[in-house]
Amino acid sequence: MSTGQQQRTLSDAALRLAEERSRPTVLELRKVGCAYEKGRPAIADMSFSVREGEILCLLGPSGCGKTTTLRAIAGFEPVSAGAIYLAGRLVSSPDTLVPTEQRHVGMVFQEYALFPHLRVIENVAFGLQHLPADQRKAQVRTMLDMVGLTELERRYPHELSGGQQQRVALARALVQKPVVLLLDEPFSSLDPDMTGKMREDLRDLLMHTKTTAVLVTHDHEEAFAMADRIAVLNNGCLEQFDTPEAIYHTPATPFVADFVGQADFIPGLVENGTVMTEIGEFPNQVGYQEGTKVVVMIRPDDVHIEPSDHCTARILARQFRGSENLYTIGLPSGHVVHSSESSTSVYPVGTPVELQVIATHTVLFEQDHPRKPKG
Amino acid sequence: MNMVVRQTFPTSLSVIALTVAGLICLPLLFIGYLALSADPSVWGRLWDTRIPELLLNTGALALGVSIGTLLLGVSLAWLVVRYEFVGRSVWEWALVLPLAMPTYVLAYLYTYLLGAGGPVEHLWQWWAGPEARVLSPYSFTGATLVMTLDTFPFVYLLTRAALLNVNVSFEEVARACGASRLSVWRRVTLPLLRPAIVAGLSLVILYVVSDFGAVSLLRYQTFTYAVYQQVTGRYDQTAAAVLSLLLVFFALIFLITERWFRRRSRFYQTTGRYRTSPRQPCGPLGATLITAYLALVLGASFGIPAWLLIQWTVSATAEGAVDARFFGFVWNSVALSGLAATAAVLIGTPLAYLANRWPSKLNVACLQAAYAGYVLPGPVGALAILILASHLIPFWYGTVLVLIIAYVVHFLPAGLQTMEPALQQITPNLEEASRSLGLGTFRTLRHVTLPLVKGGFIAAWVLMFLQCIKELPATLLLRPVGFDTLAVRVWLEASEEYFQLAAPSALLIVIVALPALLLLVSKDWRAA
Amino acid sequence: MHPLRPILRPLLLLLLAIGLVPFTATDGMAADQLVVYSGRAERLIKPVLDAFQAKTGIQVNLLSSGTTEIVNRLQAEGDRTTADVFLTNDAGSLERARELSLLLPLELANIEQAIPASFRALDNSWVGLSGRFWVLVYNTGLLKPAEVRSILDLADQRWKGKIAIPNAGSEYLQAGVSVIKAVYGDDRTQQFLTGLRDNAGTSVYGKSSQIVDAIAKGQVAMGLVNHYYLYRYVSDHPDAPLALSMLDQQAGGMGAIMNVAGVGIVKHSRHVDAAKRLVEFLASREGQKLFADLNKEYPLHPDVLADPALPKRESFRAATVPLTKLGELREPTMALIERAGLR
Repeated sequence: MSTGQQQRTLSDAALRLAEERSRPTVLELRKVGCAYEKGRPAIADMSFSVREGEILCLLGPSGCGKTTTLRAIAGFEPVSAGAIYLAGRLVSSPDTLVPTEQRHVGMVFQEYALFPHLRVIENVAFGLQHLPADQRKAQVRTMLDMVGLTELERRYPHELSGGQQQRVALARALVQKPVVLLLDEPFSSLDPDMTGKMREDLRDLLMHTKTTAVLVTHDHEEAFAMADRIAVLNNGCLEQFDTPEAIYHTPATPFVADFVGQADFIPGLVENGTVMTEIGEFPNQVGYQEGTKVVVMIRPDDVHIEPSDHCTARILARQFRGSENLYTIGLPSGHVVHSSESSTSVYPVGTPVELQVIATHTVLFEQDHPRKPKG
Repeated sequence: MNMVVRQTFPTSLSVIALTVAGLICLPLLFIGYLALSADPSVWGRLWDTRIPELLLNTGALALGVSIGTLLLGVSLAWLVVRYEFVGRSVWEWALVLPLAMPTYVLAYLYTYLLGAGGPVEHLWQWWAGPEARVLSPYSFTGATLVMTLDTFPFVYLLTRAALLNVNVSFEEVARACGASRLSVWRRVTLPLLRPAIVAGLSLVILYVVSDFGAVSLLRYQTFTYAVYQQVTGRYDQTAAAVLSLLLVFFALIFLITERWFRRRSRFYQTTGRYRTSPRQPCGPLGATLITAYLALVLGASFGIPAWLLIQWTVSATAEGAVDARFFGFVWNSVALSGLAATAAVLIGTPLAYLANRWPSKLNVACLQAAYAGYVLPGPVGALAILILASHLIPFWYGTVLVLIIAYVVHFLPAGLQTMEPALQQITPNLEEASRSLGLGTFRTLRHVTLPLVKGGFIAAWVLMFLQCIKELPATLLLRPVGFDTLAVRVWLEASEEYFQLAAPSALLIVIVALPALLLLVSKDWRAA
Repeated sequence: MHPLRPILRPLLLLLLAIGLVPFTATDGMAADQLVVYSGRAERLIKPVLDAFQAKTGIQVNLLSSGTTEIVNRLQAEGDRTTADVFLTNDAGSLERARELSLLLPLELANIEQAIPASFRALDNSWVGLSGRFWVLVYNTGLLKPAEVRSILDLADQRWKGKIAIPNAGSEYLQAGVSVIKAVYGDDRTQQFLTGLRDNAGTSVYGKSSQIVDAIAKGQVAMGLVNHYYLYRYVSDHPDAPLALSMLDQQAGGMGAIMNVAGVGIVKHSRHVDAAKRLVEFLASREGQKLFADLNKEYPLHPDVLADPALPKRESFRAATVPLTKLGELREPTMALIERAGLR
């Protein structure tokens, strides 16, 4: 997990959430659908809203429709159902398509799409042609200063590094003061070594400029680091729309549970009001009927192990990850759970261990209908 | 005030593209129809009298020129890439110069050089006695020589590029395995060069079978010349259509075979990092021999012909040949070529744009159709348009318009090849980025799309313009009343052996062709 | 805004501009201008037309091209043609143009007086202007005059590699073969052509001037050309070892093959009066003298004398096949030539 997330505590987030809830809605999607076309996944029944100053992440595997959603917001894709409102104005519906240039959205493309025939300064000034020259110049200067590109303003895009290009693309979009900034996988074409720093910088810049942003990514760590709220998409449908913390700890579906981090699913049975499993009892929080077969979602950080000779669970493998050791534990039934231990706890493979499960939330899914979640 | 914008323009553009593609294919289809609906006796008569001879002649010429260009092209490329000697880089450049000479110019100069009483014969008689004769330019050997000298740079250029890309590690590995130098060349280097050589040779062969200028001046009977004679010598043009269809058919078969072989040899392409072979320095003797060889080839293919042209131009100018009438021909050439190149760029734009941005089957098919001009050798395309114009638009027959149509059909493929990459480099994201910055479709076109494609489109225009300036057979057959171009003048004067009078026009064509040649070559040039 | 507006508009303008070219060209033509489609070598006809222009002030625009090409073009252009006068060197092609109704029948008394009826179309759609004979030119160092008497002798194997001929596209070769065919029939003509083809080998030329040149240089011993090419060459190269032989003059022979250069007024000409003046000029003494002096042709006007260097017209016989027959013989002759494999 990135430093960004660790710095924020749960209570801070709760406070911020409460404050944010009072802000006006900038972008709203109501039951939006885009029909399938060649080379573009369809989306259906997509509803969410973004408040002013909020950073929303559209998270999902490739082909889930997150880029289609983003392009529908930008006005590049017509919608076949539902409606999109930008700053309270209807911009997309099956018979309305306000052209992109009238929507006042900023867009940062995956490959940045810098105009190769224009210098940095001309790229940034591109959308400001309607302003008088001195105003234009002043705004561009301020923006270049803000992203730290003043020295490079005479360069052409091909003379810049990936990170510099990203900053130009950002500056070009932000100088417009867009209603909402749309970012399509902004870090995917950067060297992985520098994405951590770039994420922080981007988040700071967005906060500083009080920009509302929608960011598309397939990387849950990136989503956790950047987002105020996350919309998890799968197969063109919205699976869950919530804060990063909620997405991680109380995933709405097995898909979400699995997609946003390591998760094991241990079968259990509802007996006498509790969930009985191989690794212990769990509260039947959502009130499944007696005799229901369920699965319990377990995250590695909820499982603690202690070597114990009389236990039947055994260590199958250890992966050293620097900050932690990730153990794979084989249960007698053949099921497997993972446990995250400190990097100094080193046990050899084959050691019998005792499991201690300490979960703040118990997440249960029905065994037979894993796609129909409860809890 | 919501503005409803339905993305209808691709469809209305498609209509334009479809129309254009249809118009371009029409001549070919019409020729096919005419030939196939011809009386069987016409086919029988042609089969008895002409076809075997034409097949043999055309095939023999293609084979002869292939062998000639193979030997010249590969040896020259090898020398300039693998050896170091004084003036090497100059020779490396200069060897592409013969491409600036249209075949009819080189052919006309060789009818003088090798002709009876010409300088070569004088030299030879001085050496071998007064009865000695040199080979006649009006023969298989003459045609092969001229075409070889004119087209070897194709093989040279491609082989040179491939040689520069050959990873020397392969050769070193082979040497380490105990192979001799010769064996390395035969078993490693040559197979690596083979795709490039084959590509060069196929260019040469296409060039040879569609050439009209040289074979007509050297009176060597090939399909193109026979088609021309049928068009100009007969009232009934069915026979010309039959011969044309056959030629197109063979060209197609050849293209398909060539493509098939090329696909098979794809694995030869080396990728990743490579080291090029160091140049081998040569001693004074070696350098002298190499230089002499290069000088001989370049002298025969460009130096002596160019020198002759300059000399004749000077003397013709002194006799007043460069008069108002001459400048009239220059103007005709320039105006006609300029109009044709502009029309081709305008017509090619929707085709290339649609096929690259909305690559539906229909759009791609339209673009492919525009490339049909490739399999239409000059006289055949001209014949097709001549017949078509005289049937469908007789009131335009004999006007500049018909000639421009012929030029566009013939040269659009070359233009499209330059225009397509220009369009491809603009990803849709660039236009979308511009629209997200508040610029409408039109301003996006003006500020983003046009500036980006400008370079490529100008290059395509220049290329087609210069091709049009050189064009001969279509101009001969379709030009309006009294409308001679430089190329036509060269051919007319040369076929009456007014060598000096042909020189100013020919020299101008060569001079104009030079910058285009350098433009084309420098695009892929890598001075290693 | 339509995204392709900026591209479409110039395209339309361009098409309009080009489309206008033929119309402006037609409409802009003043009454004192003539368009002449000529199948004769430009160098031979331009001085005559220049003389006409100088005399009358009528401007003559000349299109030089192949004779057959011009007939095809006149046919395709139909009533939209800009041509006023068709001028060429082959009676067969003129007759063909008449059959296709491309020419305007004339009633001009002074022309009927000037040119004998055998050198005109029956309805005067075309009028012969100058006569030329298909002769054997030979290198005096390589051939004796008595060795070839009849044109049919040229098919003899002994002349293998010694004779140069024009290519099959040349109208006067076609006309010549038509005459032979009319006199001797298909089989003998075919035999003759096959032999001639074998004897000529690769010495098949596009231009008569090249044939004479090759003979003068001794590359071939002899060749078949129109007579004036010899005189034109000799005037530039007085020492050339060249001589001429009128063929088939023996008793019972068919006589020398004759053709005429002639002129006709295009049916859809918009300048018929000016065109008539040109035809009259060409048939007049003055015009005829130009043909005789400049081109070394035999003038058809009985009062105008041929160049004194030429054999006296009375000294040899011409074949009796009527010129008007050359038109209808054309296609069968071409089939014959093609079957014989001439190029």
